[in-house]
Amino acid sequence: MASLSFDEGAHLLRRAGFGGTPQEIDELSALGREGAVDSLINYNQIDNSALESLISANFNLTGDGINNGEIRRWWFTRMVFTKRQFEEKLTLFWHNHFATSASKVQALFMFNQNMLLRQLALDRFDNLLLKVSQDPAMLIWLDSITNVLGKANENFGRELQELFTMGINDVVTGEQNYTEQDVKEVARAFTGWNYRRQSPFPFQLTANQHDNGSKSIYPGTPWAQTGNLSGEDIITIVSARPATARYLTWKLFNFFVYPITSSAEDKATIDRFAKVYLNNNHSIKELVRAILTSDEFFSERAFFSLVKQPSEFIVGAIRMLGGTYNQGTNQRGSNTLSTASRNMGQDLFAPPDVAGWDFNLGWVSTATMLERFNFANTFLTNRNTGNPGVFITNDQLRSITKASSKKTVKRFLSRLGPLNAGEAIGLLRTYLETGDNGQPVTYVNDDATVDKKIRGLVHQIMCLPEFQLN
Amino acid sequence: MAINRRQFIKRSAGAVSVGLVMPRFWMGGLAHGQEIAAANRRIFLVIQLGGGSDGLNTVIPFTDSRYASLRPTLAFKDTELKDAQGNSTILGSDPFGLNPAMGEMKSLYDSGKAAIVLGVGYPNQNLSHFFATDIWSTANTTGAGNGWLGRYADQRLLGLSGLSAVNIGGSLPKAFFADKVVVPSISSFAAYTFQTDGRFAGDRNNQVNTFHATNTRTFPVSSFAAAIAHEGITAADGAAQLQSAVASYTSPVHYPVATDNPAPSQQVIQFCAALKMVAQIVTTIPDANLLYVQLGGFDHHSQEIGTNQDNFTNKLVGAHANLLRAVSLGIKLFYDDMEAHGLADNVVMMTWTEFGRRPNENASHGTDHGTVTPMFVVGNPVQGGRLYGQQPSLSDLDNAGNLKFKVDFRSVYGEIIDKWLGGDSQAVLGARYDAVGFLT
Repeated sequence: MASLSFDEGAHLLRRAGFGGTPQEIDELSALGREGAVDSLINYNQIDNSALESLISANFNLTGDGINNGEIRRWWFTRMVFTKRQFEEKLTLFWHNHFATSASKVQALFMFNQNMLLRQLALDRFDNLLLKVSQDPAMLIWLDSITNVLGKANENFGRELQELFTMGINDVVTGEQNYTEQDVKEVARAFTGWNYRRQSPFPFQLTANQHDNGSKSIYPGTPWAQTGNLSGEDIITIVSARPATARYLTWKLFNFFVYPITSSAEDKATIDRFAKVYLNNNHSIKELVRAILTSDEFFSERAFFSLVKQPSEFIVGAIRMLGGTYNQGTNQRGSNTLSTASRNMGQDLFAPPDVAGWDFNLGWVSTATMLERFNFANTFLTNRNTGNPGVFITNDQLRSITKASSKKTVKRFLSRLGPLNAGEAIGLLRTYLETGDNGQPVTYVNDDATVDKKIRGLVHQIMCLPEFQLN
Repeated sequence: MAINRRQFIKRSAGAVSVGLVMPRFWMGGLAHGQEIAAANRRIFLVIQLGGGSDGLNTVIPFTDSRYASLRPTLAFKDTELKDAQGNSTILGSDPFGLNPAMGEMKSLYDSGKAAIVLGVGYPNQNLSHFFATDIWSTANTTGAGNGWLGRYADQRLLGLSGLSAVNIGGSLPKAFFADKVVVPSISSFAAYTFQTDGRFAGDRNNQVNTFHATNTRTFPVSSFAAAIAHEGITAADGAAQLQSAVASYTSPVHYPVATDNPAPSQQVIQFCAALKMVAQIVTTIPDANLLYVQLGGFDHHSQEIGTNQDNFTNKLVGAHANLLRAVSLGIKLFYDDMEAHGLADNVVMMTWTEFGRRPNENASHGTDHGTVTPMFVVGNPVQGGRLYGQQPSLSDLDNAGNLKFKVDFRSVYGEIIDKWLGGDSQAVLGARYDAVGFLT
């Protein structure tokens, strides 16, 4: 069993979740590499009843009470309080993958899709893809419900291939995976897909709108098929193509490990992990387990190689520091977190387009950086501890301080990463030891200093380029 | 291609700080008008219509019987081409009319301020939103590399104010991806400021100085950290300048807001608000000459027209009409604002969208991804009131049933670079394309 250092445990928890306190990281690290990954992946075995009680007491998610504000508050509340961090993170991965938006789909269906994503997050990919495709949110989002015999709507058929499974060009071989003619044929196979307009809104095929003619897909390739193919057939065929295994692996690496380049080495890596998918009956769980326990995941190249997503920036800061989030009560909640995330570029339940969010430098603009800096300021200077919102008390902050300014700076940098911030340590020390008129003052960790300078210090750490990375 | 299409690590490579020197008159009390309206000022506003706007539902070939037969639900008849005031939107004696939601654009066209370039596309058009957007943004058919405006900025805007090019919105469009110049994105002026603890105003200088010091450390070239630090410093410094500049904006033009009666659509409110921000910037910051706004939502695979009330059949209302109305009204109000500030001779605007839509409508009262699209180029410097390019035939479609392009979009870019921005289209686009002729 490979051992797991504190820094590796922190890295694993930040990536497979949002991060945690030193105690949580210690507990995870003690399990060793495989044990720690197993504990994260087998999240069904973790008692999450405290969160579920809090949700049922403070949210109205029933048919007539549900709305976009409520489901956003719900998801951030889950991210902040869950003991099953990987469940939320993997659900976020699939939300980005299937990139359905509340701009077109009603809140109830967005919520139901999210429940489906978490239910099948580790299932066979074929099953996840099929169920998501037959769920009202996707049927509406990509116009399957108006894709009918003789007048095919290509929206779903196109994105199924371009974004959900193979990509236009193979991420390893560079070969074109399908043609415009394939888009048309695939669209025909999905004609008539619809759902019953009555709760629980089950999938149904409208037989007289379905095209029962012969479709011919991928002619001249090893995956060529001709016949009266159904939508289910297409999903089975596409899920088994090596191009899909590679594309999913590529996406998982970019999300969880490091940005994949077009180098031969990276192509070999993608190919190797794609085989895990192909050799394990398309099991997402086995693919993800292989990736999270891999040497690549724990390589130097992987550490802090991704730009934090806004949700990671927000939820991570709260969880690592041990801040307090008051989520509010039914329909009167605090959407501080979802609003901040939206302003930073990640509006949950409303990805910008069908391809999902643009990662890494896609999160970085002058506007979004100011939003990050200003969320940090809001978090650290909110002293309205009785109201819904996010805050941290002087007592919580003082418990992290040390008697010397240097040790205090290092302790907070460790707490928020651990971050290797080089020369910034000295600059942050200088901040702690500078008074209002720029004159030097002696650092003491008393109440007044904690309320002023420690709050300022944590704000500054959250503005470091190092803290923007994961 | 797939691997790199949405990544742009190079953005920070060799990044140099754009000068952020306060222009002298910001410090003093000089009247803004004269300085702002310098005779040689060349302002260029790019308007991106995201999602693939339906060109055949924008510039409408109403006399073409193929148009009517391909679009039994969507097609307008000549008698329907009238704006809300009852004025015809037919373009003179030409066999085209503007969508009735575009009355203001029609007035700009009639007064010679708006040119329309028909049949715009490029060889082997890509029908993916993302590839197509990358292709239009980079001005090359692989979609790889920096943006065309970013390349222009790297060549021409170095050393100018950090606000010489500005994107309105949260995330930077690929057209602005550059090697050297950091283009700010501004989604709201109120939020565009570096906040510190209000309880301890005396500590603010320490906070700002510490932020500066930690973010101007040396980071590895081309690293995310370097790009983030550079962006952060640009943001914090630009924020201070921006706040003092835009506070001085006044205008007789009213941009629609939610409290208007009747209430405008969300699309109108949002787009006009973005154009008002552009007006606030260009009328108060003399270096701010390259601006970018976006309006999304044009991907009308279904319910392109109508509402629930009319079972999605009324062509005068609905999704596409709402968006076109926003474009038309927003452009006109911005034009009026520039005129009120003595800047109308100094502004050129250009619209683009990643592709047009399929001539043959689908069963969802919508249209699938297509190819060519018209472009609008608007402003006093434009030889407007006429059509450029050529409308492709609806009887000679490609294998997918889409229009064949007549004008390469890079001809439009090149003409603007050479004749308006004073740049070199060969250097920016990598080749020289035939001018279309809307600028003299």
